[in-house]
Amino acid sequence: MSPLVGIVANPVSASDIRRVVANASTLQVTDRANIILRVLSALRACGVENVLMMPEKSGIRRHITRAYERAANLKEDIFPQIHHVRQDITTTVQDTLKATAAMKEAGCKVIIVLGGDGTHRAVVSQCGDIPIAGISTGTNNAFPEHREPTITGLAVGLAAMGRVPESIAFEGNKRLDIKIGDRADDIAIVDVAVVTERFVGAKAIWKPENFRELFVTFSDPEVIGMSAIAGLLEPVSRRDSHGLMVQLTPPHEAKMRLNVPFAPGIIGAIGIGDVKHMMPGVPVKLDFPAGTIALDGERELAFDQTDDVTITLVKDAFRTVNVSAIMNYASKQGLMKLN
Amino acid sequence: MSNNPFPLPKEQLLEAYTKMKTIREFEERLHVEFAKGDIPGFVHLYAGEEASGTGIMMHLEDKDRIASTHRGHGHCIAKGVEVEGMMAEIYGKVTGSCRGKGGSMHIADLSKGMMGANGILGAGAPLICGAALASKYRGDGGVGITFFGDGASNQGTVLESMNLAAVWNLPVIFVVENNGYAESTSVDYAVAVDSYIDRAAGFGIPGVTVDGTDFFAVYEAAGEIIKRAREGGGPAFLECKMVRFFGHFEGDAQTYRAKGENELPQNLPFEGHESRRYLGR
Repeated sequence: MSPLVGIVANPVSASDIRRVVANASTLQVTDRANIILRVLSALRACGVENVLMMPEKSGIRRHITRAYERAANLKEDIFPQIHHVRQDITTTVQDTLKATAAMKEAGCKVIIVLGGDGTHRAVVSQCGDIPIAGISTGTNNAFPEHREPTITGLAVGLAAMGRVPESIAFEGNKRLDIKIGDRADDIAIVDVAVVTERFVGAKAIWKPENFRELFVTFSDPEVIGMSAIAGLLEPVSRRDSHGLMVQLTPPHEAKMRLNVPFAPGIIGAIGIGDVKHMMPGVPVKLDFPAGTIALDGERELAFDQTDDVTITLVKDAFRTVNVSAIMNYASKQGLMKLN
Repeated sequence: MSNNPFPLPKEQLLEAYTKMKTIREFEERLHVEFAKGDIPGFVHLYAGEEASGTGIMMHLEDKDRIASTHRGHGHCIAKGVEVEGMMAEIYGKVTGSCRGKGGSMHIADLSKGMMGANGILGAGAPLICGAALASKYRGDGGVGITFFGDGASNQGTVLESMNLAAVWNLPVIFVVENNGYAESTSVDYAVAVDSYIDRAAGFGIPGVTVDGTDFFAVYEAAGEIIKRAREGGGPAFLECKMVRFFGHFEGDAQTYRAKGENELPQNLPFEGHESRRYLGR
């Protein structure tokens, strides 16, 4: 039987305040649907016949249904069959969490994720050992790699069909676990930032004078967002066993100031204090009295002096599809040859 | 570190809380009084949507103009219109804000920058473009806010106004209070583009979506948008997502809604929040 592939597409990513305070892009619903259609064609080209999708009511499903009707009229047999997870639609992150759990239960081989770092984080919190393949459609996209979704679809298809050894197709990733005493338990897949605001509000973080601490699983000078701060100080790859901790201070008080693209279109001065390696499995106690913790770029958890906050780096916490390795393997082994 | 961990000083937090509480009590009282049959015409209640109007209006001065909707009581209160005059207006009394000639859907107070509730769907958008053009011409730093619902968002007047505001770079904020229903028609059925942010992007206008029931989310996003417009950054679009807890109008049987969909939360946006403890309330 053909393997099942899951697709989680967040229809509402890329709609926060950064469209106003910066010039962050807006990815229209029709474009999101077109990305999925390209992925679906690639999956079918590899032999995947069944796809399980997260239901939503923001238009993606309608556009895809119309494309399927057009393909049927034109007698084009280019798409796999789509099934939708049966669940109530709330248009909140709950939709992503529930759909991912259902995909795990249904035995999906891989879950393809369309969204930014926040959407990927939500999927990772539920997917367990199922590998994920990220497609960037959000605002801060440090986690999903930027490439044409057709190629991501082909790599997922080849991996799901078992045509690439698992040791090549999939790789382990680091995660940050956040604990606030007994009252909160959460994760981040790229960065944890501590800011002075004591309310979640509009969620995005874009005021450097309020940044205080930063923890990253990896840091890359080519990415955008909070992890870019660490990336411009000391690059740490996704494969390194350690992460990085950076103490941040208001720019006007800092001995060292760094010019950083910390949000799309915003390049500004960040005050830098100590920089340390973060070792896996060693909980770090947060030494800051009160504020909010931003997970992968969005304020999520408020804390104060009464809270005991720890952050722990976890190695090999979840798996991702290694698109580059799969496509290179496909080239060497001639997996795409038709005769 | 400041002793106040919130984005507005204690007095303003109290002012915002008082406004939201006043809106809730005003609407709940109307809900009771309308059932007695003494109020002429229709009333459309804003209870449960307080954080949207209040979070926006906390950034405005009297010189800033707003154009409201048929569901305008909350906007009036948040903009500073006197509540006794509003209630008298709704009863059609000569002591009302408009001498009892307008009723619920036409409360206005130009001295407060409240250009009027409006019974014509989508009619506030062109009005506010005019007010914003006047502010821009005078150079007084005023901004215009037009509120409309998910149903009125489909009116040509709103779309034409978005085009005009973009072309003339007017200090206008288009606020869709998306409460899920245009009277009895679900937004899922009736809005073709599906995303308001996409629709705004079509006019080159940046758009933001926030939880319209979270005061701090609305306050923070509106603050950035209004500051940008005031300083010449042009129009923006704000979608406040919320739930319409009462019927479209008082007396609406709401047979089109799912069970439990419209249970009014007893807590106001601040209640149960850390800021309430900070205020000692």
